[in-house]
Amino acid sequence: MRLVLFKTSAFRLSVSYTLLVMAAVGSTLGSAYLLTQSLITDEVDLIIEAELKGLEEKYAQSGVSGLTEEITLKVDSWGRVGAIYLLVDPGFQKIAGNVTRWPFEGMPRENWPEFEIATIEPGRRSAHPVRAAVRTLPGGDRLLVGTDISQGRRWADKFRIATLRGIGLTILAAALAAFWFSFRLSRRVSDVTETCQRIMAGDLGRRLPVVGANDEFDAMATSVNSVLDRLEDQARTLRATFDSAAHDLRAPLHRLRTRMDALLLRAPELKLEPAVYDSIESALVEVDRLQRTLATLLQIALAESGAALASPVAVDVGQLAGELVELFEPVAREAGLTLVGTQSAGLIVHGNRQLLAQLITNLIENALKYVPAGGRIEVSVTEQGEDVRVEVTDNGPGIPADDRARAVQPFARLSHAVTPDSSGLGLSLVAAIARLHRARLSLENNSPGLRVVLDLPRAAAR
Amino acid sequence: MHILLIEDDTEAARFLINGLRESGYTVDHAADGREGLFRITEGSYDLVVTDRMLPHLDGLAIIQLMRQKGIATPVLVLSALGTVDDRIRGLKAGGDDYLTKPFAFAELLARIEALMRRTSGVPDATRLKVGDLDLDLLARRVTRGGREIELTARELKLLEFLMRRAGQVVTRTMLLEGVWDLHFDPQSNLIDVHISRLRQAIDRGAERPLIHTVRGSGYVLRLDP
Repeated sequence: MRLVLFKTSAFRLSVSYTLLVMAAVGSTLGSAYLLTQSLITDEVDLIIEAELKGLEEKYAQSGVSGLTEEITLKVDSWGRVGAIYLLVDPGFQKIAGNVTRWPFEGMPRENWPEFEIATIEPGRRSAHPVRAAVRTLPGGDRLLVGTDISQGRRWADKFRIATLRGIGLTILAAALAAFWFSFRLSRRVSDVTETCQRIMAGDLGRRLPVVGANDEFDAMATSVNSVLDRLEDQARTLRATFDSAAHDLRAPLHRLRTRMDALLLRAPELKLEPAVYDSIESALVEVDRLQRTLATLLQIALAESGAALASPVAVDVGQLAGELVELFEPVAREAGLTLVGTQSAGLIVHGNRQLLAQLITNLIENALKYVPAGGRIEVSVTEQGEDVRVEVTDNGPGIPADDRARAVQPFARLSHAVTPDSSGLGLSLVAAIARLHRARLSLENNSPGLRVVLDLPRAAAR
Repeated sequence: MHILLIEDDTEAARFLINGLRESGYTVDHAADGREGLFRITEGSYDLVVTDRMLPHLDGLAIIQLMRQKGIATPVLVLSALGTVDDRIRGLKAGGDDYLTKPFAFAELLARIEALMRRTSGVPDATRLKVGDLDLDLLARRVTRGGREIELTARELKLLEFLMRRAGQVVTRTMLLEGVWDLHFDPQSNLIDVHISRLRQAIDRGAERPLIHTVRGSGYVLRLDP
């Protein structure tokens, strides 16, 4: 299983973290921008109001003529750059000021109307934004006082661009950090996953990487590794025990067999009675059966220990099943049974070819043993999503539902299993080999008969 | 034919030596690995039969050491460790064949004979002939006395295996390994059924049958009965 970066929890965490940072930085800088802008306009408004107040007082003291004089004076005096004055009569005709005409249709509705004026500066025309306030004087004349706010606008624009840049950079930095973080995290996790898979595949000597960062991953790897050490140790002890048990059981069996063999070879010179010869021969058959049971037990132990997958090879399961069906077909025909196989080609499983062959052989032999003459046995290998499905079905007596789980346990003798020479190990070896290959094994009712379904994980395309 | 047997189990060794001598071989015996390796390097043998687990020097180590010294004498490994993987390890180490204890003496004899012949035979021949039986491997064509015989691909392989070892006894286990690449013994009488089908095709109506059963051992393809 390959980890997809975008699906990891580390990536999701980083994305939410990035979004959080974006929101925080955005709102901070956004409110700073709004605050600054309102501070600028507030100051402008205060100046305009103070100016209006002064001019209204002048009007109260000396009427329209005094006010006109005052405005003309203010307009002419340099140093008050950007101040706008306009006094109009009730018909909005200009009386005095530095704007040529009333910029609105009648009275503006807002308290602080904004408009643009065209100014003629040496060499170029430009439009300037103006913020203004308007008062209706007791005589019906109207007074407008405003300020050129292009400076403030420019300032606000600069501030806005700086803010947006800041937010952008923050997001970029956060996203990069998040990506790096999740990449690093998922790489370490996938290291662990990969190692575990290799160990499960039989490479018992492998350990999780400890990078020396003294972080939680190292702590986890260290304790997992000590568990693995323990397990490997046990597997090794088990293997050694089985090896010596195998040796200690096989050596006397071997001597026994060799002695009997020697007797048979010397039968003519010893003038053995045919009855004696026959019973020695049948004793040899028993020795061979004993040896086969022992071999199966050892094979189960080996499969359970995982060591049998130390060097897996690519096995074309369809082809293997086809060969085995071909091998068993004449035997089935002699027993009055029909054995047919259907296989798709190119379904590859990584595993131990001999053990997989043994597995399919055991399933076929099992069916041959229990299905009465006239029956039918089918072996099929098909693609089932990510798996290769091996199915062996027959229309024999089947296994009662209560017995099915027990059937795969060693030495299980089922109520209907009456064949004297069955060791009762065939299906447990099947189960052990299936477990070794991380396959799902299920025994089902074929009504009538038995259906054994084995789903082997398919080898990834290389 | 001179065989060296390296086996620490003296009783088993005695029976093997007697059996092999009765079958016409000259046999020397070494009781541990070090002595075995010494005898291999000093003497000249046609075949070494060694136990896998030995005192002082393990059977696989002996093979590796003798191969390093450039001694190419075929080696048959006998082992009480009989799982598929042990077998693979034994062959990887440079062993030529692997036999799991306990085995039938006939099985050992057949394998010894096969190893002895292997060093002298012509393995790459594409046309095999025994009496009036003719097998053309390139055309995949079989004729018996000029009469063409239809065989399946597997039957052809089985016949080839027998013809390459014409005159030699081949056991059921050897056939399972050599023709079907199966290194375990199925319980059914599979090989007998396949041989009897091949026999039907090859020997039916023939005056002199070519495929013979050797009681207690296996089969042999040869002209003389």
